[in-house]
Amino acid sequence: MRGFMRGARVLGVGWILQLKILAVSAFDGILNIIYPLFFATTALLMFRQSGDPQALVYAGLGAAVMGTWSAMATSASGALQGQRWQGTLELLVTAPTRVALAVLPITAALATVALYSLVATLIWGRVLFGIEVHIASPLAFAVALLVTLASLATFGFLLSVTVVRYRTGWALGNLLEYPGWLLCGFLVPLDLFPEWVRVIARALPPTWGMDAIRAAAAGLDPWFDIAVCAGLGVGYAALGAFLSERLIDSARRHATLALT
Amino acid sequence: MLTVGGVISFRGLFNWLNPYVYVPTMLVAPIFQILLFVYIGRSAGVGTDAFYLVGNAVQYASIPCLFAMANTIAGERWTQTLGIVLSTPANRVALFVGRSLPVIANGWFVAMFSLFVGGWVLGVDLPVSAWPGIALTIAIASASCTGLGLLQAALALRVRSTAVLSNIVFGVLLVFTGTNVALDSLPEWMATAGRLMPLTHAIEACREVVAGASLSAVAPLLLREGLIGAVFAVLGLAALRWVEAESRRHATLELQ
Amino acid sequence: MSILEAHDLRRTFTTTTGVLRRNRKQVEAVRGVSFAIEPGELFGLLGPNGAGKTTTIKMLITLLLPTAGSANILGLDVVRDAREVRRHIGYVFGGDRGLYERLSAQDNLRYFAELYAVPARDQRARIGELLELVGLTGREKERVEGFSRGMRQRLHIARGLLHDPALLFLDEPSIGIDPVGARELRATIAGLRSAGKTILLTTHYMFEADELCDRIAVLSQGELVAEGTPAQLKARVTAGSVVEVETFSGVGPADVRGKVDAVGALPGVRSVVVDDRPDGETVVVQVEPGVDVTAAVLGTLSGIRVGRVVTREPTLEDAYVQLVSS
Repeated sequence: MRGFMRGARVLGVGWILQLKILAVSAFDGILNIIYPLFFATTALLMFRQSGDPQALVYAGLGAAVMGTWSAMATSASGALQGQRWQGTLELLVTAPTRVALAVLPITAALATVALYSLVATLIWGRVLFGIEVHIASPLAFAVALLVTLASLATFGFLLSVTVVRYRTGWALGNLLEYPGWLLCGFLVPLDLFPEWVRVIARALPPTWGMDAIRAAAAGLDPWFDIAVCAGLGVGYAALGAFLSERLIDSARRHATLALT
Repeated sequence: MLTVGGVISFRGLFNWLNPYVYVPTMLVAPIFQILLFVYIGRSAGVGTDAFYLVGNAVQYASIPCLFAMANTIAGERWTQTLGIVLSTPANRVALFVGRSLPVIANGWFVAMFSLFVGGWVLGVDLPVSAWPGIALTIAIASASCTGLGLLQAALALRVRSTAVLSNIVFGVLLVFTGTNVALDSLPEWMATAGRLMPLTHAIEACREVVAGASLSAVAPLLLREGLIGAVFAVLGLAALRWVEAESRRHATLELQ
Repeated sequence: MSILEAHDLRRTFTTTTGVLRRNRKQVEAVRGVSFAIEPGELFGLLGPNGAGKTTTIKMLITLLLPTAGSANILGLDVVRDAREVRRHIGYVFGGDRGLYERLSAQDNLRYFAELYAVPARDQRARIGELLELVGLTGREKERVEGFSRGMRQRLHIARGLLHDPALLFLDEPSIGIDPVGARELRATIAGLRSAGKTILLTTHYMFEADELCDRIAVLSQGELVAEGTPAQLKARVTAGSVVEVETFSGVGPADVRGKVDAVGALPGVRSVVVDDRPDGETVVVQVEPGVDVTAAVLGTLSGIRVGRVVTREPTLEDAYVQLVSS
């Protein structure tokens, strides 16, 4: 119990301080919001040509959640490289606390900031394209959103520890941006893909989160999707925690914790 | 001086030549961008696969052109060699144009590769007879986009986060140049802005060539594309001259 | 019982160069280093760049796994009991990295207090004490990005002490700090020593080691070449003298470097080193006791313009230079 409380405290304090850091580096953060907006705008312009207002609502909601994916995929895979660059990665490793407890708050803070991107895109769609998203069950919608972001945070956590040994891990993050946009059902329904692609899509938490968010907005039952999304999130967290110990050991063996 | 100097600085400063960076960002990412918009197009029931394939393959040339050009300049500031290069008596125009040649070649290669592989993945039929025209069109697109890259590189000397700037320019090109939404489906002001940007005319020309048009039929488009690129390049060189003078006055060339 | 014992530590790095043709090269950074640190001691690890100081430290603080050999801290093995070892050590390195630039000094300390499991109720008092100790009281709300190098370094030390470690590692803390900042830093370190902290310090400033350390080990090319108190190390060369000759040599046959071997071969000469000056060089000749080599040295240097010639007592620096250049 004491260990659990301590873990929760480390996570909480880390999350608040990481948010502080992100709030100060607003200039870098702006890109996280603006960049997906270009893609959202393109997608909305494309859907507008179809002349179907329902399709535009589908795209407006999808484009909004789409931005949260890129904030996570690109930033999380560069997060530990950033720590390495600052010289703090070695300090996190020499601390007696498990590295997982130091890294998870970083991606949790990124997921929190991703919420800005989501809201910004919804406002953008509303102001420029007149898209009004009606939310039938606000409570379920809020829960679906939070669970989606939380599972994104744990997915980002797994991603960030997976690439810790590689100094060019950020390039992998950039590479993941498009497939995530493509596969998570933000703008493209999964049934357009062959079965093997759908299997990959179902392993990604945002796929279920997006379904849950759409269901909640439409007044349908979102709870099964929310549960699967949360389950995947917990699974990724566990895998990340397990891998972080092994990969840090491997980094200690190969001397890649420092910058040089 | 013109070519040799160019190749050396490109290798030295552009760490993307690291295969772990080059393969994902230059060879794999454009294929995914093509797939993304092809599928969004299918989902929205708008456009053909060939439309998105050509648009995104050509537009992706802007990634190497913009980033490499900005890196060439900003990378030098980083290693504090910009001052040394600027103080050499070598003709600066030749110097910067020389630096842009490998960038253009790389942009051409990336777009050609994306078009070829993307076409194969999607099963879009690109007739063999169209390829010489495609190659020429993409070369002009890549050159004119590098012209914009030169201007952006000059601006990059005044801002610290050059990657942010390159990303934003890339995003603007994505929305305005008819990559995924034909100009006549864009709001009028956006279409007008798009016609002043590099890539717009090349993308249109490339689509026509793929559809079977002859080179002479698209020559006016290519001419306009080249002209726009030249204007941006001249603006870029002028801006570099200005930034250089300013920097010398205020000592902002170095990072510290 | 010693606080730290290192037995025959070794570390090999594999470096690869080239993109298409990968050339693998094995580099032995540390080759069989053994030493021990007693409680309350300030132990100095001295050596030129690339001698293996930082690699040695990183193996001891659990950041790098040794290729061979072992080390224990408070009887805990640095490989097997890594997490337990981390509870008892503090690590501070030089340079201005290793802090969250965008957080205040206080937030930086708060974060690491959390990571080092300092009990919540003690944190505030502990952070206050440490800020006082390193002279940053009143600046704790400011963001670190505005701090000078000296301030950052002192904040680093406060961070390393948060959990009151049994052993503190200071890896070239004074690197790149201006003389005033370096003096304040030395005062802080001296204060820690008199408060009974056990410290391992690496530096390549001789006077710093001379002033602060109880015991010094000299590392050269991955091996320990000498160990002892500053006085003992000096004694290895004090029974003799040093002749310094200023020269203004040109290039070609008149280059002083061409004559080093000839000077070194003179009877009574222990070693010869050439230091560069802006307008020429200084030839430093270590001489055995009771021998006067001045005339012979000047004779060997004939044809080279010579300035001032000084004979003096050896310093710790001479001892060090002789150790790492032989």
